[in-house]
Amino acid sequence: MTLPDWARSRWVIVPLAMAIAVAGWNGYVALNDGGLVEGRVVDGAGRPVSGATVILLERNFVMHNERQRTRADAAGRFRFTGNDNHSLQLEAESAPLGRSERRVVRLWFRAQNVTLAEPLQFAGRLP
Amino acid sequence: MPAARDTANGRGSWWQRKRTRELALVACFLLPSLIVFFLYRMLPLGWNVLLSVQYWSPLKPARWAGLDHYEEMLFHDDVFWQSLKNTLIFIGASPFAIALALGIALLVNSDLKGAAVYRSIVFLSYPLMTVAVGIIWRWMYDERGGIINYALRESGLVTKPIPFLQSFDWALPSVIVAEVWQVLGFYMIILLTGLQSIPQHLYEAASIDGAPRRAQFWRITLPLLKPSLFLCAVVGILNSFTSFDLVYIMTNGGPGHATELLITHIYKSGFGQTKFDYAAALTVVQFALLLGLTYLANRAAGGNAGSLERR
Amino acid sequence: MGRRRHTLFRHAALVAVSAVMLVPFYWVIKTAVTNENIYAYPPRLLPENPHLFNFVDVWYLIPFPRYLANSLIVSALVVAGNVVCNAMAGYALTRNFPGRQGVLLLLLSCMLIPFQATIIPAYLITAKLGLLNSYVGLALPLLSTIVCIFVFKAAFEAVPHSLIDAARIDGLSEWRIILRILMPLSKAAIATNVILAFIWSWNAFLWPLIITREPTMQTLPLGLARFLSYMEDTTGALYAFAVMVLAPSIFVFLMAQKEFIRGLTSGATKG
Repeated sequence: MTLPDWARSRWVIVPLAMAIAVAGWNGYVALNDGGLVEGRVVDGAGRPVSGATVILLERNFVMHNERQRTRADAAGRFRFTGNDNHSLQLEAESAPLGRSERRVVRLWFRAQNVTLAEPLQFAGRLP
Repeated sequence: MPAARDTANGRGSWWQRKRTRELALVACFLLPSLIVFFLYRMLPLGWNVLLSVQYWSPLKPARWAGLDHYEEMLFHDDVFWQSLKNTLIFIGASPFAIALALGIALLVNSDLKGAAVYRSIVFLSYPLMTVAVGIIWRWMYDERGGIINYALRESGLVTKPIPFLQSFDWALPSVIVAEVWQVLGFYMIILLTGLQSIPQHLYEAASIDGAPRRAQFWRITLPLLKPSLFLCAVVGILNSFTSFDLVYIMTNGGPGHATELLITHIYKSGFGQTKFDYAAALTVVQFALLLGLTYLANRAAGGNAGSLERR
Repeated sequence: MGRRRHTLFRHAALVAVSAVMLVPFYWVIKTAVTNENIYAYPPRLLPENPHLFNFVDVWYLIPFPRYLANSLIVSALVVAGNVVCNAMAGYALTRNFPGRQGVLLLLLSCMLIPFQATIIPAYLITAKLGLLNSYVGLALPLLSTIVCIFVFKAAFEAVPHSLIDAARIDGLSEWRIILRILMPLSKAAIATNVILAFIWSWNAFLWPLIITREPTMQTLPLGLARFLSYMEDTTGALYAFAVMVLAPSIFVFLMAQKEFIRGLTSGATKG
């Protein structure tokens, strides 16, 4: 099937391609905006820290405010739901280990589902 | 209807009807554009003159002011003289920019491979939003993050960063450099079109006669480029008025009016201090300056404004 | 041999000029994708850990969609108005009518009046019309441009008379002649008009600055200027904004370079 002449002009192809790209992107966003933030918490040796409190902070222009808290389960995994921001920070606290690093998580769109690639790490080691 | 053309009585009325129909049509078609031009070009021009000889304020009726505003402008307003001087310096930089553009146009105007790419690169800066261009150059001149200071310090030319946009001496040249960067492509395109309209056989005849390249340039190219050069000069003059965006973003007239142009002074008087009448007087002076300089450029280009009258 | 050196010299000079012209682009893009404090000295020539999240920040933290929508609406109004008004005026000028020379002279002299010489009364007129802070008010001064009228006039005059005469004999009305015959044959003029009108309205700063009263009616250039004044942080967010604002202009330029250049030079050589 060969395209008619008018359909081959750049004034048709380019806007069409852009419209398809925009539609595709919006579709992807709609499928992935559950507001889910998951990850693991480990100590300095890589062992999971169960029972650690994980804090979710979200960005408000130039500051980050605490939004939610949750506890890591036995395997050190944690999960937040209902995130609707695009720029977050995660931090963990644990009684024996103090505070962990503060991880900045930046998303491509608000409420994007994200799973941390690297686990949140404490500096110290569990006894 | 056509049959009426032949009868003596019918011809008069038929002709008249067709004529009026045609006139009505032309008038209708011209009307929208003419309304826009009347409202936003002709009427403002006249109203400017009227405002400049009145005491005008939004709440009170206008009173006659005579030449009071002009007197205040010429004798009591230092900012006016500073901004006039800055505007003239701005305009004075355009011959250099035009010469540079002519050089680039000469380089590009050949069957060089990739000439179109070079042309596009140089012209790329012209259709950009001037506000964004101002932000980009403001960042380039920055003392810490800017590449200009970095290059100067790394190459050892200076030991401390130069505060380009905050210094009395460097601020106006810095803004001028940004403006030249943006308008260079436009000059180049105009000159390129002019160069390409010069008939080749003139050069061939001159070569046969043994004229050296340099003489060919001065005797053939330049004179035939006069219309294009005139247009570039006019745009250069107008640019000192349209560079409001650049000055507003980069320095806002500072430091201390060192980069104040007539147009920014008008804006600040009219919309900052709400002195509409004084700003109108400034505008009248600015427009008179524009007309005067355009007339001089026209004379320098040989009288007839290039091909503008060829219709 | 001399020829080859000559060409090499030309290429070298042009490469140097191109590099100088492109440095500002590179610098702003580099700053927009950088991940560190942009005010740290010495600035790195290559961005370290570049990321695109500054663009996400700009999209959400400032009303970029709002500014974009405003700019698009005003530009659409200006482009539509321009094509219609200029085509009509261009057609009218191809007809011979008494006073044609006068109208031509009037238009040519209006070309000498720059917009900046009219801002004060233009503001007062727009206020009297009640169009302050409205899309129509933003678009009104740009609804017709003299250069584009002449572009249409030249394009219409290039259409062979035989076609128009044949259409007249067939009994087509003036409107039909314009729409069915002249316009399809003047596609280049329409494209030029669209590009010029779009670029001028997209980049307009002084007029929206004067006319808009509320932040919700601001167009992109105003949004950019406003962002400059209240956002002084150490990330590249402002420059990401600038890149996002420049992208449509560059895109339109790359798509329609020929038409844009033709529109500008037709104002120059009118021949």
